[in-house]
Amino acid sequence: MSLLQTTGLRASYGQVDVLLGIDIEVNQGEMVVILGANGAGKTTTMRAVSGTIPRSGSIVFDGHEIVTQNAESIVRLGIAHVPQGRGTFSDLTVEENLRIGAYIRKDSVESDIERWFETFPRLGERKSQKAGSLSGGEQQMLAIARALMSRPRLLLCDEPSLGLAPLVTQELFGVLKSLNQQEGLSVLLVEQNANLALKIANKVYLLETGQVVASGDAESIAGDERIRRAYLGG
Amino acid sequence: MLKIKEGSVVHWAVRVACVLAIAIFIVYIPTHSETARIGQFASAFTLIIAAMSLNLVLGYTGQISIGHSAFFGIGGYTAAILIRDHGWSPGYTFYAAAIIAFIVGCLIAMPVLRIRGAYLALVTLAVAVLFPTLLRWKKLEWLTSGAKGIDSVKYDKLPVWPFLGELKGRDGRAVFAYWLGLLVLVIAFLICRGLIKSRVGRSLIAIRDNETAAAVMGVNVTRTKVLIFGISASLCALAGVLSTLSTGVVTPDGQYVTLLGSIIFLLIMVVGGAGTLSGPIIGGLVYVWLDNTTRGIGTDSRGVVGFIFGWTNQSPATLILGLALIVIMLFAPTGLVGLFRKLSRRIVTIEPQGQ
Repeated sequence: MSLLQTTGLRASYGQVDVLLGIDIEVNQGEMVVILGANGAGKTTTMRAVSGTIPRSGSIVFDGHEIVTQNAESIVRLGIAHVPQGRGTFSDLTVEENLRIGAYIRKDSVESDIERWFETFPRLGERKSQKAGSLSGGEQQMLAIARALMSRPRLLLCDEPSLGLAPLVTQELFGVLKSLNQQEGLSVLLVEQNANLALKIANKVYLLETGQVVASGDAESIAGDERIRRAYLGG
Repeated sequence: MLKIKEGSVVHWAVRVACVLAIAIFIVYIPTHSETARIGQFASAFTLIIAAMSLNLVLGYTGQISIGHSAFFGIGGYTAAILIRDHGWSPGYTFYAAAIIAFIVGCLIAMPVLRIRGAYLALVTLAVAVLFPTLLRWKKLEWLTSGAKGIDSVKYDKLPVWPFLGELKGRDGRAVFAYWLGLLVLVIAFLICRGLIKSRVGRSLIAIRDNETAAAVMGVNVTRTKVLIFGISASLCALAGVLSTLSTGVVTPDGQYVTLLGSIIFLLIMVVGGAGTLSGPIIGGLVYVWLDNTTRGIGTDSRGVVGFIFGWTNQSPATLILGLALIVIMLFAPTGLVGLFRKLSRRIVTIEPQGQ
């Protein structure tokens, strides 16, 4: 079943058109990866879906047209966005960051906090530290845990590996993979590290200057000689 | 270095000692000081409330406002007009001023808060400059009494508080202003504290840290900013009411009604510590103390001061005050509260429970 479906999604920054009609589909329980070079429009696609930039076309999430909705209502519908560069609130403590992740929820969030401290023990150890004092990897984990506090059905994850050591990146992808496979969380992932992303993805979209130039399941994309040479460095 | 466990007997003893010391200090001032000193504290309380209100908007939410003097003025004039023209009892003017300032604050914030940084500073600056002009406007003279302002606002209909005794004459007015200021200050502090420690407070800091990230958490950024601006405006108006009640006068040239007022509120907040609850309190006390101390230094000064400032024909008070504030900012860039935290951490640490 289709959870997210964008049709002819367009967005621009001032005079510059960045998305020229993007069609992307994420099914329930899928891990979908968007690949592409710098400036292809990957981050813009994520922002368009989460409602943080003006956009046009159609975005249907779980039967709702959300292209006209603002960021606040979109979170309430069940889409959580881990922005590029993490966007953790450096002046709030780790625990406060998690609490604000659950901003839209009215019920008790204590068990969720406990749960993410179990998944990411290093966050638990630093729960009363300011988020600004964490390392890059810890901040990325915090950003993901914070997004999950809203109990989303779709997680938008924008380049979680940016600026992280390879080992930390692998750990992070391990967590994303288990969330996807064991909890059935649908994930839309933007990633520069194509080799790594292809290992955990079901489906891949290849973006080039604001358009989808190739798509398919992860194996076929990984096996395509042309794509391999252009994007995977092999 | 000393280590104290959170919630231990020692920790509680320190807390109780601090509260006791503050309580003794608060009672000592109006009962044992000269009238002028009591008046200084009363005006410090007023400034602290104004700086606290600015702190909500600038310190916590990161939205600069140089227009708060206008809200101070709205409070001051609301009280004066209601008491003079409509015979209101002074106590009720607080509510009226808070409501009017809240509405005006929200109305200004709605279009203004969509812009940011230096532009926001400029627009709010325009509000501060416009306000006194508006007060002097001929067509509003029936309401504001124009350039001469409203004076001799009566305060004799005040409720009599038995424990304060008979409040008469200049002394009585100072003592009254002191206690009333303190009461409003405590209420304003509790409001700020309640806001900051809550879900709302977290969303304010989130907006300051990263507006886009706050929005994707589900925080309605525009609405939150407008509301906090309105709340801030109404707290600032309370300070204005206090000023009118304690001095009995409000004019368009009043120090805190003009642009200078906005700058002073800003200064107090920054010197004390922006984005901290106690910052405006410390900042306000230090500012009023410095202001009164430097004022005593005239051009006829001898010695070092006379040597350094002899070339000015005017009183060097403002210059010395300015220099003193610059020195404070050099040594305490995060405000006096920040400096205190840094220094106290070297002597004693409070260990959180369960670690």
